[in-house]
Amino acid sequence: MNAPSDRDLILQTRRGESEAFGELVTRYQTGVFNVCYRILHERSEAEDLAQEAFIRAYDRIHSFDIERQFGPWIRRVAANLCLNHLESQKVTTELDDERDADQTQRPESVVEFHERSEQIRMVLASLPANYRLVIELRHYQELSYDEIASELNIPLSDVKSHLFRARKILAEKLHAPD
Amino acid sequence: MHLTDHLTDLQLNEYLDNETAERVQIQAHLSSCDECVARLTTLQELFAEIESLPELALTKSLATPFMRTSSLPAQLPAWLPLTVTLQAAIALVVLIVAAPFVIQLLPDLEIPSLSNIFIQSQTQWETWLGILSQFQIPTLPTFSFELSNLFLIFVLAVVSTLWLVGNGLLLRNQIK
Repeated sequence: MNAPSDRDLILQTRRGESEAFGELVTRYQTGVFNVCYRILHERSEAEDLAQEAFIRAYDRIHSFDIERQFGPWIRRVAANLCLNHLESQKVTTELDDERDADQTQRPESVVEFHERSEQIRMVLASLPANYRLVIELRHYQELSYDEIASELNIPLSDVKSHLFRARKILAEKLHAPD
Repeated sequence: MHLTDHLTDLQLNEYLDNETAERVQIQAHLSSCDECVARLTTLQELFAEIESLPELALTKSLATPFMRTSSLPAQLPAWLPLTVTLQAAIALVVLIVAAPFVIQLLPDLEIPSLSNIFIQSQTQWETWLGILSQFQIPTLPTFSFELSNLFLIFVLAVVSTLWLVGNGLLLRNQIK
């Protein structure tokens, strides 16, 4: 039997079947959590905000446009929540130590890949919050410049300059000699 | 834009983002400029690195709050069946040990006769009847207006309907 579509699950949720929404959450929770994590760089906060994003989506499910894709929408909701969180908290957090866990048992290529990923995360985390947001929206949510400007409520010229500067910093730090 | 000038970093960024109005001119320049092609390739590699970041796994499911709690009865703790078995075994042993003593004591016990029990019950019953005979039903308050039977039936019907609708709304999620 085919798995129900997102649209079916949304309609079931509207009829009061919260388990259907639970299924939607199961489908998109990792993606949504990673949106939050890439912006916040703190695991427990990212999990809390990802949960909050789903709760908000559940509350607004009756007004959700059924013709839209649920995945991009919920990721956008999560990004906006993180933006509001950053604006209210002005947090500067460090990366979790847990991700630097024991790597000795892994093959060399896996360790190298993991280390490179960690390096990218570290450099992303070091970016100013507004730079992180444009990187998230452009590279991971594939929004156009106009959409990013509208989402963040900033001029188009700021989107271009933030992206340009963020990438310049990333390139300098990632390709800097050790 | 002059084809002889090198492309700026901003132009390369916009080109890769598909956000430039000079796409044709940029492509024409790239077809004849190895230096700009090399810079474009470096930028493409950076984009690929950013986008290749693997997703981290969650430590908990976010779907739990939306899943209905299980209606299965809670599982008994493991120690409880063992305790019950032990109690039953002890009770059996005590019964076997005590049985001879109980048999010895039984003839000495004074058991009231059936007729005495009947007389006592009858006395108790008559006392209750006496109390009940003094009970008076309270009088209902009188209204300054008259309530017709039709009106009362109508009110009863409205209240019953509201009650049914209210329960239906409350239980609509459980009724499938």
